[in-house]
Amino acid sequence: MRLGRTATILLLLTPGIGLIVFFIGAVIYIAIAQSFGYYNLLGESGYSLEFWETLTGRKAYARSVRYSLYVGFWSAILSVALAYPLALWLRKPFTGSLTVSAILKAPLLVHGIVAAFLFLNVISFHGILNQFMVWTGIFDEPRRLQNDDNAIGLLFLQVWKNMPFALLLLTGAVQAISDDVLHAAQDLGAGAWARFRKVIAPLSVSAMQAALIIIFIGALADFTFQTTIGPTNRQSLAQYMTFFKERGRWNDAAVVGVTLMALSLVGAIVLAAAARLIFRGRLR
Amino acid sequence: MPAISIIDVVMRFDRFTAVDHVSLDVEEGEFVTLLGPSGCGKTTLLKLVSGFLQPTEGRIEIEGRNVTGVPPEARNTAMCFQSYALFPHLTVAENIAFGLRQKRLPAAERRDRLADVTGQVDLGDHLPKLPNQLSGGQQQRVALGRALAVRPYVILFDEPLSNLDAKLREQVRYEIRKITRDFGLTAIYVTHDQSEALAMSDRIFVMNGGRLEQSGAPEEIYRHPRTRFVADFIGSANVLDAEVVGEIGPNLWQVTTALGPLAVSSETGPAARRIPVAWRPETARDGAAAHNTVEAVVRHRSFQGHFTDLIVDAGTTTQRLQLPRSAAREGAQITFSIAPEDIAFLEPDA
Repeated sequence: MRLGRTATILLLLTPGIGLIVFFIGAVIYIAIAQSFGYYNLLGESGYSLEFWETLTGRKAYARSVRYSLYVGFWSAILSVALAYPLALWLRKPFTGSLTVSAILKAPLLVHGIVAAFLFLNVISFHGILNQFMVWTGIFDEPRRLQNDDNAIGLLFLQVWKNMPFALLLLTGAVQAISDDVLHAAQDLGAGAWARFRKVIAPLSVSAMQAALIIIFIGALADFTFQTTIGPTNRQSLAQYMTFFKERGRWNDAAVVGVTLMALSLVGAIVLAAAARLIFRGRLR
Repeated sequence: MPAISIIDVVMRFDRFTAVDHVSLDVEEGEFVTLLGPSGCGKTTLLKLVSGFLQPTEGRIEIEGRNVTGVPPEARNTAMCFQSYALFPHLTVAENIAFGLRQKRLPAAERRDRLADVTGQVDLGDHLPKLPNQLSGGQQQRVALGRALAVRPYVILFDEPLSNLDAKLREQVRYEIRKITRDFGLTAIYVTHDQSEALAMSDRIFVMNGGRLEQSGAPEEIYRHPRTRFVADFIGSANVLDAEVVGEIGPNLWQVTTALGPLAVSSETGPAARRIPVAWRPETARDGAAAHNTVEAVVRHRSFQGHFTDLIVDAGTTTQRLQLPRSAAREGAQITFSIAPEDIAFLEPDA
């Protein structure tokens, strides 16, 4: 009876979850298999560590890993750091709060590539910012703002695009904290910072973790922003993977792809654990 | 010197006046209740004392110090909330110790106080549990313990029992009163439940429309309501519009009402010729008497255990009486009487 019931449930779930598991599983399987020499479209297929050994020995690979991690971590952290005070500010409705909230969330409606081109118009050599700076006399002549080594422009754009998403999650979480709970903390002697650290942050840490993880994974694998406004002397992992794919080197591309997946997993765990550790709010 | 002085306090929210020129003093160790219907301003007044709201006008003093602009965290008060407001991510022990940590007390003292308080509120077995693992009554005790642990000068209760069932409410009511007495705490208790106020308070402040209607000991408020509102709100008294005929004896006044002519005993006498009078349903006596005998027809009967609640048509009005062991059925003719000393003159209507 129990077996029959379990089988029925599994059969009912198969068209939905089954397809999702199949497609995700298939992609992961192919990527991992290709990175170890299988499904080789240019040569002999079979188990081999050659592609891993070759790629991990290259400086370009290590640079890409470092650069993508840099973009991923800072995008996630800065987006959440900016969204938190805004979410707290918007926690209680006030005159105009709906408009402010809508404006802050507007970037969610703008496609990344469009935003990147808009931003390019602003910071390019003959862009609006340079023209303005020259007009005000602050710059003597236009400056190259686009290809900065630290990818400040790229991070700015990542934060501009991702902060509203973090804001959406965090606003919901902080709005769910009752006034009474915050009043109780205040009544027991907790000032603004103590209330944030000991009550608000622990009670919204799940939303914070979700925002950090989703933004990190997106920014880690960013291709659009990087190719449009990113520094030309840096290569993200997504760019690196495309580089191999365009040359038909699917197994090398798979190594980069698996690296991206592994970094996403590890990075997400690190961010989630760090957020929980820092903001757990336990008193013991 | 009073423990708390509220001096001519006004609280306005835009055009709405929630608290309207209220002044009152609470003595040290006193347990006072702010009693009134929803929206009368009692919780607003409590939030003004705790510091969550700043008054539009007036001044609040605690221990003789003007605390009007002082934030809640800097006031020597602790509050028990209607919703308990426990920190859901912290254990019972951590909830109780929260205020102690904020005060940066040494670990040994924190441990001692935690042990003291958990003993007082009987939560020793629940210290490692999270609030969602406790019953409503236990959560209320944690909230009480958390407030007591910081040893505040004033403890404030915002309808703390309204989420508990009737039996538990009575038990926790007794515990709250015992603990505040044991700790010698000055307490302000907000409720709309008159039985709670009457059972727990040293003094009751009845509020209506943002104003204080009457204050006094529970017996005084119950037996000598001053206004139509207080008479009606506490104990659901029968209020009648009366016209004074004259004095018919020492401290005895004859009035005409919709119930018929009544004799009213009063030392001070009526304040006006047309004046409301009130009498309580439980003061009615079965049968005739020397004064105030009334013939009535039972319209509705409700057996309540130790008394029977009767709604009767008498004279040209409908009244409520509570008689012990009444066998009268609906439609039956009954005779009851009210002693002159059980009828009170109220303040004339404005």
